[in-house]
Amino acid sequence: MKTINLNKIILLTLSLVVFSACVQDDDFDTPNLSFGEPNIPASQIRTMGSLAGDLAQAQDNFGEIDYEDESTVVSYTFNDNDEYITGYVISSDEAGNFFEELIIQDNFENPTVGIKVLIDVNPLFTKYEVGRKVYIKVSGLSVGITNGVLSIGVLNGTEVDKIPSGSETNFILRSNDVETIVPLPLTISSFSSDKTNMMVGLADAQFNRNEVINNSLTYAAEGSDEFDGERTLESCTSSATVVFSTSTFSDFRGLLLPSGRGSINAILTKDFFGEVFNLSINTPEDINFDDEAMRCDPIEISCGLAAAAGPNNLFEDDFEGQSVNSLISGNGWTNFIEAGTEGWEAYTAGGTNASQGVSARVGSFGSGDSSSVAWLITPQIDLDTNPGATLQFETSNSFSDSSTMDVLFSNDWDGTEAGISTATWGILSDAYVTDDDDFFGSWFESGIVDLSCATGQIHIAFKYVGSGVAEFDGTYELDFVSIDAQ
Amino acid sequence: MKKSLLIFLLGIFSAFTTFAQETIVKGSVLDGTTGEPIPGVTITIEGTSIVTTTNSNGEFQFETIVPLGEQVLKIESTDYVTKRYPIVVNEGQTVDISGMTLDYDSSDKKDLFIISISDDNLNSEDDGLTDNVSGLLQSSRDVFLNAAAFDFSATFFRPRGLDNANGKVLINGVEMNKQFNGRPQWGNWGGINDLQRNQEFTMGMSANDYTFGDLAGTNNIIMRASKYREGGRVSYASANRSYTGRVMASYNSGVLEGGWAFSVLASRRYGDEGFVDGTLYDSNSIVAVVEKQLGDKHSLNFTSIYAQNRRGRSTAITEEVYNLKGREYNPFWGEQNGEIRNSRIREINEPILMLNHYWEITPKVRLNTNIAYQFGEIANSRIDNNGSRLDAINDGQYGGARNPTPEYYQNLPSYHLDDPNPTAYDYQLAYIAQQEFINDGQLDWNTLYGANAINGYSVYALQSDVIEDKQLSFNSILDADLADNIRLNANFSYRTLNSQNYARIDDLLGGSGYLDIDAFAEQQAGQQSVGQAQSDIRNPNRIVTEGDRYKYNYDINSDVASGFAQFQFKYDKIDFYVGANISQTTYQRDGKYENGFFKDPNPALGETGFLDGFGDITSYGESEKLEFSNYGVKAGFTYKITGKHLIDVNGSYFTKAPSIRNSFGNARQSNQIVLGLESETIQSFDASYIYRSPTVKARLTGFYSGFQDGTDIGFFFTENSSNFVQEVQTNIDRRHIGAELGIEAQVTPTIKLKAAASIGQYTFTNNPDLYYTAADFSTIRTLPLNGIPTEVAQKTVLTYGDGTTALKDLHVSGGPERAFQIGFEYRDPDFWNIGVTSNFFSHAYVDASALKRSASFTQDVDLLPTLPGVNGGVDIPNNGNFSGYTFNDYDEEVAKELLKQEQFDSYMLVNVIGGKSWKVGDYFVGFFATINNVFNQEYRTGGFEQSRRVDYRSQIEEQNNDGGPVFGNRYFFGNGTTYYLNVYLRF
Repeated sequence: MKTINLNKIILLTLSLVVFSACVQDDDFDTPNLSFGEPNIPASQIRTMGSLAGDLAQAQDNFGEIDYEDESTVVSYTFNDNDEYITGYVISSDEAGNFFEELIIQDNFENPTVGIKVLIDVNPLFTKYEVGRKVYIKVSGLSVGITNGVLSIGVLNGTEVDKIPSGSETNFILRSNDVETIVPLPLTISSFSSDKTNMMVGLADAQFNRNEVINNSLTYAAEGSDEFDGERTLESCTSSATVVFSTSTFSDFRGLLLPSGRGSINAILTKDFFGEVFNLSINTPEDINFDDEAMRCDPIEISCGLAAAAGPNNLFEDDFEGQSVNSLISGNGWTNFIEAGTEGWEAYTAGGTNASQGVSARVGSFGSGDSSSVAWLITPQIDLDTNPGATLQFETSNSFSDSSTMDVLFSNDWDGTEAGISTATWGILSDAYVTDDDDFFGSWFESGIVDLSCATGQIHIAFKYVGSGVAEFDGTYELDFVSIDAQ
Repeated sequence: MKKSLLIFLLGIFSAFTTFAQETIVKGSVLDGTTGEPIPGVTITIEGTSIVTTTNSNGEFQFETIVPLGEQVLKIESTDYVTKRYPIVVNEGQTVDISGMTLDYDSSDKKDLFIISISDDNLNSEDDGLTDNVSGLLQSSRDVFLNAAAFDFSATFFRPRGLDNANGKVLINGVEMNKQFNGRPQWGNWGGINDLQRNQEFTMGMSANDYTFGDLAGTNNIIMRASKYREGGRVSYASANRSYTGRVMASYNSGVLEGGWAFSVLASRRYGDEGFVDGTLYDSNSIVAVVEKQLGDKHSLNFTSIYAQNRRGRSTAITEEVYNLKGREYNPFWGEQNGEIRNSRIREINEPILMLNHYWEITPKVRLNTNIAYQFGEIANSRIDNNGSRLDAINDGQYGGARNPTPEYYQNLPSYHLDDPNPTAYDYQLAYIAQQEFINDGQLDWNTLYGANAINGYSVYALQSDVIEDKQLSFNSILDADLADNIRLNANFSYRTLNSQNYARIDDLLGGSGYLDIDAFAEQQAGQQSVGQAQSDIRNPNRIVTEGDRYKYNYDINSDVASGFAQFQFKYDKIDFYVGANISQTTYQRDGKYENGFFKDPNPALGETGFLDGFGDITSYGESEKLEFSNYGVKAGFTYKITGKHLIDVNGSYFTKAPSIRNSFGNARQSNQIVLGLESETIQSFDASYIYRSPTVKARLTGFYSGFQDGTDIGFFFTENSSNFVQEVQTNIDRRHIGAELGIEAQVTPTIKLKAAASIGQYTFTNNPDLYYTAADFSTIRTLPLNGIPTEVAQKTVLTYGDGTTALKDLHVSGGPERAFQIGFEYRDPDFWNIGVTSNFFSHAYVDASALKRSASFTQDVDLLPTLPGVNGGVDIPNNGNFSGYTFNDYDEEVAKELLKQEQFDSYMLVNVIGGKSWKVGDYFVGFFATINNVFNQEYRTGGFEQSRRVDYRSQIEEQNNDGGPVFGNRYFFGNGTTYYLNVYLRF
């Protein structure tokens, strides 16, 4: 008869226990993520503004930074006492609208300067969230203009480029200080290059009606959007507009633009070519627009384009009769300078940027004006008695930048200069007006703008808005204005 | 050994010294170590069908007339090493060979397999590249298969080029291969070696008593309490391959008073890391087996196995990474709070319960009926870096981060040098990346926690892909001796499986919750949060927390019924068999989520759940029910020219239902069934010459296997269509031909020389059909909506050129096609032994990318006109077929070079094995040790081409990169010098 030897079983069980060894299990405690504040003596901390000053000096540009000079670079070498700047993060790549760049400004409120830190790291929002104070070690890095804004990174040949990912922690130190960023209140027309890389707040703005009312565009998912979707954000307090730019890689590229009106907080930057102001947001949560009913759209005439102009000419001017280098006058024109010193004038030019005989132009380049607003208004046209009316003209531009020229109409203008600002002006939205992307030497036809769907007596106005500031000091040229009817 | 030699001689002389009238052959068998008699030993006179067994005193005597002259006795018993004794039978004399000994088969060798098998299984991504069949072979006593199992397995060598899914593993006659991929899950019975010594292996398709079998062979593991030898065993193993330590204890009661028998085992395997860094091992196994004999005719056995297994995984790495970090490198782990934490853990918890009934209806007819139930889950963890948050006001979702793996391609030097003319700055970036990777190069857990902490939601989470199975199996196996030389085997079996497949959040890594949205889904204008990105439209924008299911959730229900019958005939000169089987297999997917990409159709818009050329486009609810009817026939014979020379021939023809994995094109998201899905057809033929003399055993075999209509599915991200795609290959034909040789010579009673060789060629014989799907592949079709022709964007599959991939004549990847071994064993009479083998391998090939060898290779995406607003950024021609846009600089000669299939370098591995045992009082103590790859040879066991950037121009760029290709081939590297030591105590 066999029996079980209990002792042996106990021995077995015991041996198992004795030999048992521990392996780390699945339950890991959340690591302690706290870290000490970077311990950098005040003597080694420079202001961000002083870097800008170094660059301006290197550019030898009268103490001001030349934002078009992308070839001058200031390099800071390592030394025993490495120097740092501090700043607050204002950009976020959480939604993918910023990529491998960290935009910081020198304070969380009332900033005086901002800088773009170029770094080959993605993602960044996981460590450097908006409002986080960071220390950037300047020693070993270089400062210069890239894409039209002040930037810091490593030197690649003669330009500033991304800090290698492996050097991230060598050059960027996190502070425990996290603040709420207070956007700098600005209007579009007060944008300037030294305000780039800052979080700015526009109080009263909306997207252009062609993007949100007449069409419903996405932020950046239209077939024509390459790299960035560029949309037009316009001020409700002035006629100023700015390009609102969104990466086609952003998480919100497919969302529809908000159609209402209101405030927006965005980072002021420039386009890829460093030429035009852009606003870019971290997420659509930065836009606070209310409903469509509150919009500030102009009234407009939009009857489309006519196949041909009628035989009955109501008004025309090829400016050949005007006296060159004088303000346009006579022929029923009202030429009014609402602001600044510049008005519509007659001119001739040859070469690449030729006029068409005598042409009209306006521009505030070199004017020193803080604001230039100039009107050129036709005589009254009676649409009721002249069926099938059309408008034609040609425009050209010379570096129009962010200055604007709109073709407007009014039913209620009393004909006086004083009445211009109180009259209601709508726009003729079908007329093509050249823009900054067009070749400056060419003239562009407006198309045969159909006015037949409007009624009453109207005046048509060519309104220029610019300023002496470089980004808004463009010039527009105008010729062959003709109004016809059947 | 001295003793056995003596008896061996005695056995011969006894023939001359016995006086008797009758011709009698008798004797007894003793345990070589203990000297105790062994009952139940099978004694066969080779080349005849004359068989007998020993009685309880270990004695036997042949009842039938034994042929005269020189004969060889084969003495075999489970647990013991088989021996062959030459005898001379003279008329009227008695041959008494009492006191023959059998050596206990220490079987510790078998532990080796369990290590390498679990290694291989661990790395396997069901790609079929890295699995290993050696587990099947461990009980084989064939010289060649022994070499394959013991010494070739470390290289992923596959006998005849066949993988795991071509072999069957049974426990107590119940098939254990998974319906999901056709492969046995070794982890389900790992660490229970002591109770798995009784194994019956059938080579190839030859006759098997339980089942129709499969090409690579059938291994039945017998786990019956009454079949274990009484006693206990405690062992401890130390190693540095996968686990670092193992303790195991088992006890078998033997048959007790009242017919009861029981066996218990408990073991633990553990290790912080194996040969590859960060590969933790944490496994506990317990087994209980009870058997009760009910009268003379019936016996009821209950077997329960719970082998819990948790392993840290590693992965194939590129040449670049290998050069920087070496073959031990594993990108999956990083330190957290000073401890190594591996992000890729495989955890297996699938207990097996079975009830076996054995019924001896008559002495000649036996019926075995089994019911088995297996339940539990296999979970594979990984980091989900796709966490986002919802902006409910704007209907947006933001977040998602880059793959945090340290070997992400953008972290490596090659990425910075991919410009044809790298600048000094590029070299600077490359250098810094290289230094960073060399000095750190591991996962940074703190960054993941930090991201979640400052953002308030889980940008990163640890998830598991879970397969939770419940399987009930029933079978009944008949074994009947219809006549002395005719035997019938039959089997009816049925199994039903409910398999739940889902992703589960395991750890939010300090975050508060995870938004169950696909942050990478291409947004449709204005409708992100209710649109395609939703995992389940019926529960949109769900925040999930630890333990919750998310992302995908579906069931697969499967039923398989099969019948098998086989007749075996045994005659003096020839043994032969014929067998046949039929089976019926059904699969059905049952979606529990309505995926945003595969919404329910809207009948009001004329939508149906079905698209021509695509199939089922729904995700929720039941799919079409797939049904496969399969059959097979096989036959073979062994012709005995003399007792020493035999010819063995086997042939088979059968069809095999595709696995679940290969049946659904994109099971996580939709009910779509693989287009053109068919059962695979297989033919095989092999012929062997077998020689056996008392001192020499040899086998030479030529083999052929043909496969038609195979199916294979892969998943990866490719830049060719900027998408995460499902790659579906159907109509795959391949041919495996070759020869294998095993020879063993007992030169002296203590020294044995052996040699083995396999030379094969495993190639594709056609250009398989190939298509791709992705959640947002769509194309424009004109449909009559309300009678008006309307352009509608519809889902499509994507094909290239003629819809095939040029794999013809390329090699089927998976281990070396050529392997050679020479070795010797010395077995000292003082109970110690040592063996050395030298093994040479060559002709292993990388797994060829099908995309690279499709017309996609020649197509210039940039030439394709963009279809704005429809394809969500993916440019697909209107008919879903991409052709006619050949690169304008395409050069056939250059292409030929780019498309060459890489062949790995050949290499030599030397292994040493040895052991010793002692008797101490009532106890037996011994140890057993191996050193593998003594000379620390570096070698590649396998690899595959990445399909990420495989068009002609990209490939040229990749080849010309100063830093090596960014998406180069990934390789599995073999272990360096490793050891394994096992000490045991037996009583």
